[in-house]
Amino acid sequence: MYRAFVVTALGVLMTGPAFAAGACSTALAAQFKPKAMLEARLRGEGLTVRQIKVENGCYEVYALDKAGKKVNAAYNAETLEKLANAEAGEK
Amino acid sequence: MLKPARSDGDISGPDASRSSDVARVWDPMVRIFHWSLVLSFGIAWLTSHSSEDIHNWAGFVAVALILLRLLWGVVGTPYARFSEFVRGPATILRYLSTVLAGQEARYVGHNPAGGAMVLALMAAMTATALTGWMMTTDACFGVPWVGLAHDSIAHALLLLVLIHIGGVAFASFRHRENLVAAMFTGRKRK
Repeated sequence: MYRAFVVTALGVLMTGPAFAAGACSTALAAQFKPKAMLEARLRGEGLTVRQIKVENGCYEVYALDKAGKKVNAAYNAETLEKLANAEAGEK
Repeated sequence: MLKPARSDGDISGPDASRSSDVARVWDPMVRIFHWSLVLSFGIAWLTSHSSEDIHNWAGFVAVALILLRLLWGVVGTPYARFSEFVRGPATILRYLSTVLAGQEARYVGHNPAGGAMVLALMAAMTATALTGWMMTTDACFGVPWVGLAHDSIAHALLLLVLIHIGGVAFASFRHRENLVAAMFTGRKRK
């Protein structure tokens, strides 16, 4: 029981950061999904992508929506999961 | 002019203080402008990667201050006026060559190089704020050259500030006066 608890806790600690909601990837850049994949997906959502910056394990997207309004968002570079904070990659 | 103003070159300002040999040079508007601009640049610099709100407000405040200063440079007190300290390139170069020769004149207001620095700092601050504001508009949001321009001009502005501080320290040393204190008190010796 105690052992199971420790193993589980360690497991959570080790995998936690990589999959934690709303955080940038902590993996090496080699593990990142390609920028082009994110860009294609965003274009499919109707966005005009101006620039995608790589920032500490995040992709920060600068884009316009269909109405021509600016859209700023950050994505985990490893999972391409959208994060709540557009400045998540900035420190 | 009743008595020669030392041997120190072109002193065309007023003699505001009759009682002693101290002149009131920088009026409150000039001093408040100067230190408020310092503050807004410092705050903008420190918040460039942390708080967009504060960063943007610092830029707006800087532009408002510069607009007021431009007006004050036309209607303000004598030493605050551009006509008192803005000189052509030839005069500035001549002044700098006298500095190299160790024979520069002392000015109660800005010396020609200092006057040029005032304009350069205000121009760089304005350009930084303008490109920064552009980055927030739909038309320029995420356009790479706008961000690059904002970054580069802001760094050039920091470089100008460092040169400005160097010039102030050098002139203070050369003429045995504390020019930083003068920007607080407004007073200098005649």
